[in-house]
Amino acid sequence: MINISIMKKSVIIYLLIIFAPAVYSQSEKQLVPSDLKQQTVVTETVTLRKGFLRVGTLLNYRVVDKYFTDTGKKEYYVTSTWGSKSAYNLTLQYGLSDRFQIDLITEYMNMRQESQSTEIVAATNSTKITVARQKGLGIGDSHVSLKYQLLPEAKYKLSLTGALNVTVPTGEKNPKNILSANQYDLPVGDGTYSIGLNLSARSIAYPYSFTCYLGYTKNFTGTKIINAADPIEKKFRFGNIFEGGLGANLHLNEWIVMANEINFYHEGQGKIDNIISDKMPVSWAASYEPSLIFQVKRFRLGESVKIPVKGKNVPADPLYVVMIQYVF
Amino acid sequence: MARFRYIITLIVFFVMPALTISFGQTINKGRDKYVLLTMPYNMRPLTLYRGQFQVNAGYKFAVWTQSYNSEGDIVFLKTKGTGSVYHYYFVDLRYGLTDFIEIGAETNFIRRGVRSESVTYAASAVSTSDRISVNKLTEVKGMGDILLMTTVRPPMKYRWFDLSLTGGLFLPSSKYEPQKPTNTVVSTSAATNSFTVNYHYNYKNGYGVPVYLVSASFKMSIKKFSSEADWTFKTPVKEGKSIRWEETLVDKAFSYFDKSYRYLLSNAYILNTSLHYQATGWFDVNLNGSFQRTKGGWTEYWGNKYINPETRLFTIEPGFELQISPSLTIYQVAGFPLKGKNSYAPFYLFTTIRFSNFLSFGK
Repeated sequence: MINISIMKKSVIIYLLIIFAPAVYSQSEKQLVPSDLKQQTVVTETVTLRKGFLRVGTLLNYRVVDKYFTDTGKKEYYVTSTWGSKSAYNLTLQYGLSDRFQIDLITEYMNMRQESQSTEIVAATNSTKITVARQKGLGIGDSHVSLKYQLLPEAKYKLSLTGALNVTVPTGEKNPKNILSANQYDLPVGDGTYSIGLNLSARSIAYPYSFTCYLGYTKNFTGTKIINAADPIEKKFRFGNIFEGGLGANLHLNEWIVMANEINFYHEGQGKIDNIISDKMPVSWAASYEPSLIFQVKRFRLGESVKIPVKGKNVPADPLYVVMIQYVF
Repeated sequence: MARFRYIITLIVFFVMPALTISFGQTINKGRDKYVLLTMPYNMRPLTLYRGQFQVNAGYKFAVWTQSYNSEGDIVFLKTKGTGSVYHYYFVDLRYGLTDFIEIGAETNFIRRGVRSESVTYAASAVSTSDRISVNKLTEVKGMGDILLMTTVRPPMKYRWFDLSLTGGLFLPSSKYEPQKPTNTVVSTSAATNSFTVNYHYNYKNGYGVPVYLVSASFKMSIKKFSSEADWTFKTPVKEGKSIRWEETLVDKAFSYFDKSYRYLLSNAYILNTSLHYQATGWFDVNLNGSFQRTKGGWTEYWGNKYINPETRLFTIEPGFELQISPSLTIYQVAGFPLKGKNSYAPFYLFTTIRFSNFLSFGK
């Protein structure tokens, strides 16, 4: 009888020893603000948390080599013309609340366009070489964006975010230093205000996240010199823009994310002096954009290439993007 | 009886664990799969480990805005409007037969269009009539040949230096003969006798003949620093035969005929020398100097053989190797041309993703 009692006590003590650590030692890791600032594009919230400030710069680079014709065929530019376009983008993002974020974006443009052609005149037996070297340097247009989490991720598995985007034409809209029809400084701004609404959704299933967005931008009427050979400002309006995209992001390890996005862009017919113009045709593009994003503490480094797959009246060359961001 | 229980207890407590250690699942520290897959650059040999396979998929984006002429001077193509872009995709597959013998195969795909300077022929400088504008585009596009190769290294464990020798053969698997040009004539409706001729030549990728490849490599590591050098020689097995398209323009319509010609590819010599620093186990930064030279060979024009011009190009390539996971590694290099002769001088970004694993993994 005594033995059974001792045995029972032994079993109880044994079970307590085994289970007590399991019950009391299990705890969820508490994220501190410094951890929250090191989250990746997959795990971070869709808008910055209150008081967080993110500063970033982005470099875009594209050459002018191929384009999609108005029939949707990809072709080389056949004349001897070479161009490149770089944009150094500066972004400030601030969390006004845990659901409300403001973005301020501006860019410095560096555009180059160079061409050379030879004309051989039979009557005078002479040769004339025409060289055009155009560049566009300066601050481009700026953008303000307000983002609000309509369905916050904290409550729902799917977040829904609305954004209001306003473009302010801070860039030089007209060609400058016009010497001839092909000797002038290129404009670096569009010269028109625009307002856009954007709705985006995201769902996280770690190590994956899936995104989807739709956006519509209305361009307002502006005035600018359309043709350097006719240096008079004319009224114009770009067509309105519809955009949409689907994305799937994957954590390759704890700090590297591979992002994939398929996006579609459509710009309506533009007008010059209220008349439909061939210079602003309907254009669209469907592109694939893979990215690699490295999260090193609070630094985020990214590299992506946007590859136009199909399109009409748009450039067909890949757009290279290098990004660096830091959260304060 | 007590003695029997004692013996049984001894067996249970001492012999059984010993048997388990001897025959059960153990980790062989020398050939742990994950240790081998994550072996840093400064600690791995020049060939794959036995049973390891590797797939490399890469993309090179090159901007050809300048070239070197026969005197070695830079010619700025972009100022003439004749800059171009080069897209190069490649894939290779390697397998370690033993720790000292590796076999592999690789191929590539290229796409590039080169514009020539546009020329207008006019009867008069002031008139818009009787003007013919000529544009010329030379496009190169297609799959390359398949290279089969074998690499051997001395049967020793890599400690601080390694040597290897590679032999290979490019099989002429690509459709190397140029396709018929797709020239067009576009009339200018506003002016009489004025039109634009767009020449569009379509070249393919590949050598057209089998090409031998011989390569020798050397690698040396001192702590976190490594140096690697390789020398590669490519030479054609035999003369080749291809076609050249000729065209005639009559009444704004082109007719074509092809003429065959013979050629002998130039020999190619490539020397790479790189310095590596293993910053951490998963990150290696490096600086490579690449010297390429082609010499010899000839091409037949109108029945006469003309020697191929010698080309040279020296490029410097900073790069990195980043291990993402045991199976996945990313490589990226940027190429900056420094000196050359009779050669294009592209700036390029070359990104490669490597997947590696073991088909079977035994002791």
